[in-house]
Formats: sequence, structure tokens, C-alpha cells
Amino acid sequence: MSRKFLDTESPGWVADGLISEAQRQRLLARYPSDAPTLGLLPLLGSVLVGLSALSVVAANWQALPTTLRLALLLGSLLGAYGAGAHFLRRGNADLGHGLIGLGLILFGASIILVSQLYQLVGYDVSGLLAWVVAGTALSYLYGSRLLVLLTVLIGAAVQTYCVQVLGSFSYATAALVAVGLGYYWWRRPAVVSSTVLAVGLLWQAGLLVAVLHAKITWFFVPAMAIYAAGDWQANRPGARALQGPPLVAAYLFMFGLATFGETDTYANVLRPPLLPYLGALGAVFALSVAGKRVRGRMNTLLDWLLLLPGFYLPGGLPLAVATLVVLYAHAGSVLARAHRNQDSDQLTLGAVLFVAATAVAYFKLTWAFLDKSLFFLLGGVLLLGLSWYLRRRNAQALAAAPPAPPTEAAAATSGDEPIHNL
Amino acid sequence: MPDLLTWASDPARRRPLLRLLVAAQVVYVLGVAGAGYATTALGQHIVLATTPVDPRDLLRGDFVRLRYTISEAPLSQWKDAAPPRRRQGVFVLLAVGPDSLSSTVGIYPKAPAAAPGQAVLRAWVTDVYRHSLTLRFNLERYYVPEASGLRREKAGRLHPLRVHVSIAPWGQARITRVEDEVGKK
Repeated sequence: MSRKFLDTESPGWVADGLISEAQRQRLLARYPSDAPTLGLLPLLGSVLVGLSALSVVAANWQALPTTLRLALLLGSLLGAYGAGAHFLRRGNADLGHGLIGLGLILFGASIILVSQLYQLVGYDVSGLLAWVVAGTALSYLYGSRLLVLLTVLIGAAVQTYCVQVLGSFSYATAALVAVGLGYYWWRRPAVVSSTVLAVGLLWQAGLLVAVLHAKITWFFVPAMAIYAAGDWQANRPGARALQGPPLVAAYLFMFGLATFGETDTYANVLRPPLLPYLGALGAVFALSVAGKRVRGRMNTLLDWLLLLPGFYLPGGLPLAVATLVVLYAHAGSVLARAHRNQDSDQLTLGAVLFVAATAVAYFKLTWAFLDKSLFFLLGGVLLLGLSWYLRRRNAQALAAAPPAPPTEAAAATSGDEPIHNL
Repeated sequence: MPDLLTWASDPARRRPLLRLLVAAQVVYVLGVAGAGYATTALGQHIVLATTPVDPRDLLRGDFVRLRYTISEAPLSQWKDAAPPRRRQGVFVLLAVGPDSLSSTVGIYPKAPAAAPGQAVLRAWVTDVYRHSLTLRFNLERYYVPEASGLRREKAGRLHPLRVHVSIAPWGQARITRVEDEVGKK
């Protein structure tokens, strides 16, 4: 609740007799308005000064003697780390972590600029791998969300460079991010960095599939391995945050299959050899189920519906119908689970998924038979009716919920607590 | 038992660990610079010819784009049963000709043994055509030093250049010098 909200709403509470004027004053005193954001001005000023220094150096970079360039790079590197450690000791964590992050970025910039200085050709990624190592080590040292985020980004950037320029996949980089930051996530599953980590790893998995010229469906084996790791995580919000990106990827794929998979041309590109693919995916599935059983989350088992390999079906109508059935079943499972847990966010998500599946079904199955105006009319009516029905269900579900928001809020806070403590 | 994260982020240990980490980074950057000197000092020197270079590059940036004559090779020089693929890393065996310029002897998927007078330069396949293939050496950008003669040349004249390259025993290559075809620097 923001102070501004309290300022505008509390007179009304006094007028309605909810609280007394004295209580209102005590409430206002309890949440003092934020200190004036004057602290931002010197920060902006120093950023501008820094930018001017940077542009002076950049403009004359080629003219500077080699040793001076090297000294400038190393000096700014040391300066950033030193200032970061200084501000951290003084208790200014945001600025401190920011400066340490700047030091990390300068380290990478130094490696690149020094290689350029000596016209060195990069043949493998070992030069930049040190950057990822430094990022991982700093993340461990400071446990800062910003540094984890930076390291995931650096890992993805190094891998992209390796694939694009050097034409090979750096397994060391992938392993370093997966194991190094995976362990970090295992111990400190903060929600934001979990999602970022999952997206970064999915990016690398996608690059691997591209480099190997494999069928793109192989992507879902590493993707679902990330999902399965989430099943073993004890912290539920952290687990779901890691599982989000793989599920979104699987959903988008199934959705694309339902929309475009009708022509056999697409379907053929998607079929890896049946037994190895199903074997690998089955192994990941078993791992995931075991995790769900241990952590008591069997109710999320139907997430795996999205991974049904419908692309082995002959293209055309069987594939279209099968993918639609899967999309409907998945939306239904999300709705049912949300209904059971009285979770309004999940209900909304389920409704959206349901509407999306209906839209695809309508588009696929009726386009050929109906006049276009009729198509739009019927489609609109169908969506309106569906949204009305779902909204009513949604409202009923929430009204039927026991009126105990305080315990729910308390549960949510206690669940989040380990994250805030970071 | 405390986990690794708690161990690493213990305030008492944080300061020495940060110092160690920062020192390692500085040493690493210095090591990259050292690799540059070592490649020149210990490396094998070869001279490569380029096709004409557009000096207007210098108006746009600090480097010129070099196109080597060995960047294009007939497919008959490919020494492997499997055809070359785009983006594949390859090894180019070079031999010094009478004009002291190096030219391609063969292109291999694995590093070949070099006879005396020969050198091995790493490259990547950029395109494969019916009868030829093109290569990229990552030596295509030359950051021209401020004092170089290249900067004083009149814009508009296309130069063929001679590029001096050092190849270290561990395979690292760098451009050490670029000069005009006629030999004057």
C-alpha cells in the first residue's frame, strides 16, 4: 500500500467511522512518505560526467598509446570494483552492486578491446569464458539479483557470439551457466532471477539445436529438463518461476502446430527419429514426475499435455484436430486447477488459454465453409458468450471462497520471505 | 552444514575473495596483451596479398576491410571426403611462393602437419558454391594505427595490400603490419 493511497483514502475511512482521526495520524506516522528523491540528482550528474569522459576517450581511442589504453581499461576496472566495495561497506547496497556490475562489464570490454588492440583473432571462446566465470564468482560473492541477471545475459551473449562468429557451441559456457547459476537458484530461488535464468538457458538450448542442425523439436528435451528441475525445488514460487518459460515455449509450439501444422511441409521438419526422441523426453518426464511426487505437486502433471508429440501424426486434419484437443485439454486442466486452488490469476490465464484455443478451432474448422461476414459475426458471438460464461464462473469461484484474505496474504508473504531476505 | 553460497558471501571472507577475483581479472587482461606480444615474438611470419581495399572505410571508422586472395579457393583444394559446410572451422595449409607471398596448398577439416616453409592458418567456411568456397579468417578487419601511411593516402585510390601475419605455435594469429603492394610502407 503506497503512502499516496493512504493520504487520499484515509480521510474517507475517518468519515465512515472505520478509524478515528488519532488512528489515522498513527497510520500516517507508521508509513512516512519517502525521502525526497534528491539522491537521484548527484547520480544522474555523475552519469553525465562519466559519459563525457567516455566519449572523450572513445573519440581519441585510436590515437592513444597502447600502454595508456591498457592502463585506462585496467584503471576503470579497478575503480569500479573499488567504488562498489566502498559503497557496499557504507551500506548502500544498490549503488554498490551496480558498480560491481559495472566492473564486470568493464572486464568483458577490456578483454574485447585488448584483443582488438593487438589485432588478435578469436578462434575459440576461451577468452570470453573468463567473463562468465567472473560473473558467476561475483554472483556467489554478493548474492545480488543484478549480478545474477548480468551473468545470465553475459552467458547468453558469449554463447551467441560463439555460435554466430565461431560456428561452434561452447558446452563449457552452457555448463557454467547451468551448473553455476543452477546451484545458485537451487539455494536462493528468487522469482525474478529464476525466470531470467530459465530464459537464458532456453536461449542457449535453442542455439545448440541450431548449431547441430537438429530437428527443432529436440529443443524440448533440454527445455523440459529445466522444467523438471523446477519440480524438485522446494520453494514453490521459485519453482514455478523457473517452469514458466519452458511452458510458454511448449505452449507457443503447440499453438503454432495447431495453426500452421495442417500442411505436411511443416510437420516433416519437426519429426526426429521416433525412439530416441521419445526415450529422451520420457526420461525427462520420469524425472519430472518423480519430483512432483516428492514435493506433492502431482496436480501440475497435466502441464505435460503440451509435450505430446502430435507432430508424428500425418499432417492435415488428424494433426489439426489432435493439437486442438490438446490445447482444449490443457486450458481445461489450468481452469480446473485454478478452480480447486481458488486462484484468480490462474483462472484468468485458463480463460485466456481457452479463448485462444477456441479462436484457433474456429479459424481452422470453419473458414472454408462460411461466408466471411458470417465468420466474423459468429466468431464474435462465440467469444463474447464464452467470456461471459467464464467471468461468471470466475466470480462464483471467488465468491464461494472462504473470506480469509488475511491468512492468504500472510501465507503469500511467508512464501516470499526467503526472496526478500536476499 | 552451510552451503557454498553462505560460505562465499560471509562478510569476513568477502573482501579477500573480491581482491583475489579482481586481481585475477587484471592478470587475465594483461595475459591477453601478453599473448599479443608473444604471438609476434614467437610466431611464424607470413605475407598475404589482398584484393583492392576501399580506403573510404577509414572515413567511416578506424579500420579497413581486407579481402584476401586466399579467401576464395577452388573446391579441388578441399581435402576431405565429406563436403565442407557453411560456418565450419577449417585449417588452411599455406606455402610461400617465389614472391614471398603465401598461397593455399590445401584446406583441411583437421589441422594438417606443416612442412618447412609451410604454415597453417585457421579459417571458417562462409559459403560453398558449386566449384569453389569462400573463407573468413577473422583477419578481415585491420584497425589502422593513427601514424600509418594508409591514413595519409588520398581517398579514392583502391590499394592492393600486403598483410604481414604472425601465427603463434599455439595457432593464434594476428596482423603485425600492413603495407602497400610495391613494398613502401
